[in-house]
Amino acid sequence: MEHWNNGLIKKTEMENRSNGNLGMGRLTHRSIIPSFRGLKLEEVIMKWNIPSLKELEDVLWRCTACGTCKEAYEYGPPSVSSPICPAGEEFSFEGFLSSRGKIAFARGILSGDLKWNDALIDAIYKCNVCGGCQSQCELDHKPFIPEIIEAMRRKIVADGVGPMPKQKVIAQSLSSYDNPYQGPRRVRLDWTRPFKKQGKPIKNILEEPASILYYVGCTGGYNVPVRVVPQATASIFHKLGLDFGILGESEICCGSTAMRLGDVEAFKRVAESNLELFRKLHDEKGLKTIVTSCAGCYRAFMKDYPMAEEYGRMMEGIRVIHTSQFLYDLYMTGQLKFAESLPWKVTYHDPCHAGRHLTKFIIDKEGTQLWAGAYVKLEDKDCLYDIPRQLLKAIPGIDLREMRRIKANSYCCGGGGGVMTGYNDWAARNAGIRIQEGMETGADHMVSICPFCHYNLNQGAQGTGSKMKLFDLTELIDKVLPEKAS
Amino acid sequence: MKAKKEIKKGKAVKAVRTDKKERILKELKSIVGEKNATTDQHILYAYSYDMSFVTPKLPDYVVIVHTVEEVQRILKFANKEKIPVVPYTSGTNIGGLCIPERGGMILDFKKMNKIIKLDPEALYAVIEPGVSHGQLAEALYKYNLRFGWPVGPPSASVASCAICHGIGHMNARYGLNSQEITSMEVVLPTGELVRVGSCAINPDAWHSCLPMPQMDGLFKGWLGSTGIVTKLGIAVHHIPPILKIFTVSCDHVDDMYSYMLNLSNYEICDDLTAVSWWLSQVPIPYPYKPKPDDAPEWFSYATTFSFTEKEKEARTEIWEKVVDEEKKKGTSIQVTHYPEEALKARTQLPSQIVGSTKNYCKMAGGGISWPGTFTPANRWAPIYKEWKKIMIGHNLSPSVRMSMYRGVHYGMLRAMTPFNKQSAKETENARQAIVECLKVDLDNGGMPYKPPVDFAMEINKRAHPGYLMLMKRLKKFLDPNDIMNPGKLGI
Repeated sequence: MEHWNNGLIKKTEMENRSNGNLGMGRLTHRSIIPSFRGLKLEEVIMKWNIPSLKELEDVLWRCTACGTCKEAYEYGPPSVSSPICPAGEEFSFEGFLSSRGKIAFARGILSGDLKWNDALIDAIYKCNVCGGCQSQCELDHKPFIPEIIEAMRRKIVADGVGPMPKQKVIAQSLSSYDNPYQGPRRVRLDWTRPFKKQGKPIKNILEEPASILYYVGCTGGYNVPVRVVPQATASIFHKLGLDFGILGESEICCGSTAMRLGDVEAFKRVAESNLELFRKLHDEKGLKTIVTSCAGCYRAFMKDYPMAEEYGRMMEGIRVIHTSQFLYDLYMTGQLKFAESLPWKVTYHDPCHAGRHLTKFIIDKEGTQLWAGAYVKLEDKDCLYDIPRQLLKAIPGIDLREMRRIKANSYCCGGGGGVMTGYNDWAARNAGIRIQEGMETGADHMVSICPFCHYNLNQGAQGTGSKMKLFDLTELIDKVLPEKAS
Repeated sequence: MKAKKEIKKGKAVKAVRTDKKERILKELKSIVGEKNATTDQHILYAYSYDMSFVTPKLPDYVVIVHTVEEVQRILKFANKEKIPVVPYTSGTNIGGLCIPERGGMILDFKKMNKIIKLDPEALYAVIEPGVSHGQLAEALYKYNLRFGWPVGPPSASVASCAICHGIGHMNARYGLNSQEITSMEVVLPTGELVRVGSCAINPDAWHSCLPMPQMDGLFKGWLGSTGIVTKLGIAVHHIPPILKIFTVSCDHVDDMYSYMLNLSNYEICDDLTAVSWWLSQVPIPYPYKPKPDDAPEWFSYATTFSFTEKEKEARTEIWEKVVDEEKKKGTSIQVTHYPEEALKARTQLPSQIVGSTKNYCKMAGGGISWPGTFTPANRWAPIYKEWKKIMIGHNLSPSVRMSMYRGVHYGMLRAMTPFNKQSAKETENARQAIVECLKVDLDNGGMPYKPPVDFAMEINKRAHPGYLMLMKRLKKFLDPNDIMNPGKLGI
């Protein structure tokens, strides 16, 4: 197989890849990028503990079909109750609605009662895998709900019957360009142009050592309307005088999109490359911290990558942190000080991937406390619920107004889980629902910490004719941070 | 043993011919819109089972309705074509009530979920069938009001619970949730729209089913087999600010009955309930495990609400008097500390914890059913003793609840029975135990509520012939082609 450079690939090779399945399962990590500007990657065969649907069978029978997952509810008092499932809101039938419906599909697939057909596959992809239903459930399968949905997708891809046609473009793009946006590698750096013009070039960590890697993510790099996110982030880092670098054109996708679509081989391919690269950067370039402003990348690094048995060894000495947490730590130590006032009424949207997806579930695997496989409790200290809010409140002049559905009960923007690509009209409609919820607070700006949500919510605002303006938290911080931070 | 494939078409129903099915689907879509009717197998499958032991069965169609007019048109069409219709709100009952016995159409009401009227002065609300307990609780809290919240998921339907004689957390004070119904709008199986109660005389008056003939009884307790309630008036109540919970324990069920009988005479409790040791555990032990020798066998919690501290003190004085009296009788009643999580789960309603059946079936996995009955209180103790033998004989926990209802000394007697639904053998074991228990209860004058078909058959075996004759005649009168949830009444 001929390797390719700079995102270019011979047409015949691409066609070959497109013919069977998704065309990516045959590649190994070594076939992606044999070297990163002199950094030779070692050959590491990684073992992944990613469960199949069959392996989850006992777990999914723990669902009672009680339907608690259908509605976001808090006792209070006063109690609050709201719809939580975007697919349930749009498509109504029980199968689409929350984990109860998806588990019905899973049971039917495993029992043989349901055979693959277009409508079933379509229904399985009409889910944001947002985890809103998971937040409501109290049973033993709770920790595995997104995993069960994605395991169905993995089976779909493994059986060669999916994902959906529009989503296959993503998979092919990932194969050809190492990003889901069909963007040539050189375009990945377009967001840095203003910095070059200002004489503030951003260091390439492959060429110059740096302790901080700013991992931009494909959405921030290629999706033009949200390039403001990496631009604001880099601007803040410059103002703070941080020693940071980026991977430039050599950055490749984190693999989150592939994983969400069930293309596990594509995910493993890029994840293994990234893990090896991070290890090398640590050993040879002094990398200690990876900062990302993309909730999807962050989720992938925190939840998906640890499914590699080699994760601990590859990431030893390297901390992964979301921009909001990184800046919050600086704020708390007095290194981030705001000079300007921003008299805005804002509301905050919790992205699923930076929020409830980072919940840790305590399971009594051996049955020493309760019984084998019992879900004991959850820990949400890694969920970025309060940190963005505290930063927002720290900005002088900000009037933060909360929506009805927040934190673990946040209503998904509707873009995740491959929906924005596969069903963009529905994604935008659902974002419109969230925008409306934001409008009801009286806010005129909606802030988030995910470029994917940012883009989709913007689509929702445009679709509904709303005047709500979308901002990333970094944009607000950049506005009020003085040029020379003390 | 893995669960065997049991998805069936409703019995005695030939598969609907493809061309007929397409024609019917086309007609359904013309009524409710292209997106709201389907014959897709995976969608039908998701409606084919619930958490009970009832054998899964597939409908032929699923239809989402949004308006009363759509419901009328659907029923007129179904009646003409003789298509079974199963009304469905959230499918959270544990009696298989929405599992189609004879195929046909699931009519899903989740999108008819408006709270049409809430009158905080007159103290009633008018709701559509898709309104959930969580949704109503939020709306009522704004006025410091409440309804009888059942031990079910917040997403469950208020209307379905009420018309099926569901219970709430105020049964000792106000009775069953069906006794809180003040008026109804109903679409008959033939498609006509009717009203019963005060709203039948004045369209804006939803305050009472009395003093007219109680025709609401034609639609309560019939398990959706006589018509579809499209609007329901219900009484709501103020939330007094002070809650006091009286908790006692004892070693013998007879002692608990004596205490509950005594306390209920004073009518000071919203909820007067006792649970066996196995039900007080979170979750119910599965399979059966013996109670520790030093643990009481019965616990009781009784909620009482007061508007002032003095009122609370007066209520507490009565309770203390009752406890003293029971002790003097030589019973084993002791004031006790009720397990905190269990207490919280039973007093903070609607509850996700109880609603998800975490308390009940989490340890077994997937399945739960019950012999759930309304039983004369003086038969609770002897029945419990029989149930205990039956349940333990099936290696199941005798996790029994007794709750005193308003008025006559009768109330709930039920054994919440979790089982491993992944195993067909364990599911059948639970079914057998439950049906055995039910027979004991029926022979002692009890009556099952929200009964699965197995229960209905047992009821009918014992029924007065005049009761069966009248029921059949009413059913025939209201539903001449037997399209509404056919088979559920066991007639």
